Amino acid sequence: MSGSANVGVHVDHARDEDPAKMAEFEAKINAGELLEPDDWMPQAYRQGMLKMAEHHANSEIIGALPEGEWITRAPSLRRKLALTAKVQDEVGHGQMLYRVSQDLGKSRDQMLRDLITGRTKYHNVFNYPAPTWGDIAMIQWLIDGAAIMNQKTLADGAYGPYVRTMKRINMEEAFHFKSGEDMVLTLMSGTKMQRQMGQEAFDRWWYPALMFFGPPDKPHAEQLPPMRWRMKTVTNDNLRRRFINRFAPAAIDLGLKIHVVKKDDNGMVIERKPDENLRLDETTGNWSFTQPDWDEFYRVIRGNGPCNAKRLALRRFSYEQGRWVRHAILRGNAGLPPAA
Amino acid sequence: MITLPDNLKRPFADLLLAVADDKLMLGHRNSDWTGLAPILEEDIAFSSLAQDEMAHAQALYQLIAGLIGTSADALAFGRKSEAFRCAAIVEAPDEFDWATAICRQFFCDHFDRLRLRRLARSSDKPVADLANRLAAEEQIHVEHVDSWMQRLGRGTDESRQRMQKALDRLAAIAPSLFEPIEHEHELVAADVYPRAETDMFETWRNELEQIANDSSLKLDLHPPSPQTIGGRRGKHTEHLPPLLDEMCEVYRLEPNAAW
Ligand SMILES: [Fe+2]
Ligand SMILES: [Fe+2]
Repeated sequence: MSGSANVGVHVDHARDEDPAKMAEFEAKINAGELLEPDDWMPQAYRQGMLKMAEHHANSEIIGALPEGEWITRAPSLRRKLALTAKVQDEVGHGQMLYRVSQDLGKSRDQMLRDLITGRTKYHNVFNYPAPTWGDIAMIQWLIDGAAIMNQKTLADGAYGPYVRTMKRINMEEAFHFKSGEDMVLTLMSGTKMQRQMGQEAFDRWWYPALMFFGPPDKPHAEQLPPMRWRMKTVTNDNLRRRFINRFAPAAIDLGLKIHVVKKDDNGMVIERKPDENLRLDETTGNWSFTQPDWDEFYRVIRGNGPCNAKRLALRRFSYEQGRWVRHAILRGNAGLPPAA
Repeated sequence: MITLPDNLKRPFADLLLAVADDKLMLGHRNSDWTGLAPILEEDIAFSSLAQDEMAHAQALYQLIAGLIGTSADALAFGRKSEAFRCAAIVEAPDEFDWATAICRQFFCDHFDRLRLRRLARSSDKPVADLANRLAAEEQIHVEHVDSWMQRLGRGTDESRQRMQKALDRLAAIAPSLFEPIEHEHELVAADVYPRAETDMFETWRNELEQIANDSSLKLDLHPPSPQTIGGRRGKHTEHLPPLLDEMCEVYRLEPNAAW
């Protein structure tokens, strides 16, 4: 899943780029051409793309963790196989995106180390808990669904290697989404206990899904570098609107109720009431809704979410327990790792 | 299937359960590495291995379910520990030690390939066909795991020591794979489980010793004592019940529901 909606691009104005080259670069972007790693590009663009691809790669391998925890508990052989394959796909996305990042000049080991030491970030959505099987269904439906919406627009970007990777990833994400939809449908047409499990998981994931697309747009978002340079092609609020318009009616169809919730520090719902702002405006075709709690969003991004420490600790554990293996493979006399 | 006499049905189901249960537990243990393996490329490869084992188990459970009248999921998730027929080695946890995971796979894959090749000659056509297909996939597993043995055995001093330690620890329980199921000789006599062309244990030991030698590792294997009663008769290690509690946690919430 995943998809980095919100990586800030810091433009270093002190750095003078050659105006002629800059004009040529922007003309290429405006003509809808793809940029390749060896093409000239302003330093801020290269750094921004690296930051974006690295953040996306980090998100894929951290995103593998909450669902990975449920592989050993999946309730049927079919689900067990599908979930293992799904998490494997996410690791594969991470691998592809680290490749893109490596080509922009940072080593994989450095990226993995920066991730576990908190120097770089990953998508906020993975800092929420998945306490039941229902959460696994909701993650695959809502979060993979949100990721597809976002990544489809990223595939219209300008940086060739990233665009091509998005296209490949999106094909796999479509399978994840389908299987998520099937899991949710199965729960919601199941026993009373299963339907309740589905609703409670939905209550936990609805707002993280809305926050998935990032904070409300800054003024003139279209003119800022990320969009001017087609690193991003649709604003956060527009993506969020598309998501609601698709998922609010789908949820209602499945018998789910959309609630405004209050959560405790562990991300568990302690209060819920129907979202009274939720309604379809027949003239615009848009659904109105209650905005997420953006204070919570910033609290979680700063590292104080329910699962930040847990996710990073597991990633660090994996990095450390595998060190002797990487050392033997890369520095031993036996050559490269065996091909898959 | 047409010719299988009633008195051989249960032993045959037990034999196939031994194959399927080994694969399910091994795949289950390996799948836990998905997302956490030492190298991303190997994370993907090892996960494929896990998926193969679990898919093999599923195919076998479907055959068994037809034989004794139940479903594949009920066999995987609905049995008590003593009804499983897996061997001690697949129950062994690896505590996220990559050397243990690789060595466990090493013992099991070589054994599995031999066992499936033998089943591929079964007088029962559906089982023979399936075993033939699965044996071809095991071939790929064997090559993959052998190359890991060599790379880590010949890697650094640390990796060799870690591999040797894991190999020694698992060599003590690996022969559990060879424990016969109840009434196995009757299945052999009826050619449902054809006699091995060469002594299976010796063949296995030779294969493993050769790879171990190539990998700068030492391996000492002893045939299982004929008196031992273990996993093939439903007597399991202390690791199986907690594994099943975890695996069946969601299934048991509503065993008759679709998930
Ligand atoms: Fe996904
Ligand atoms: Fe992904």
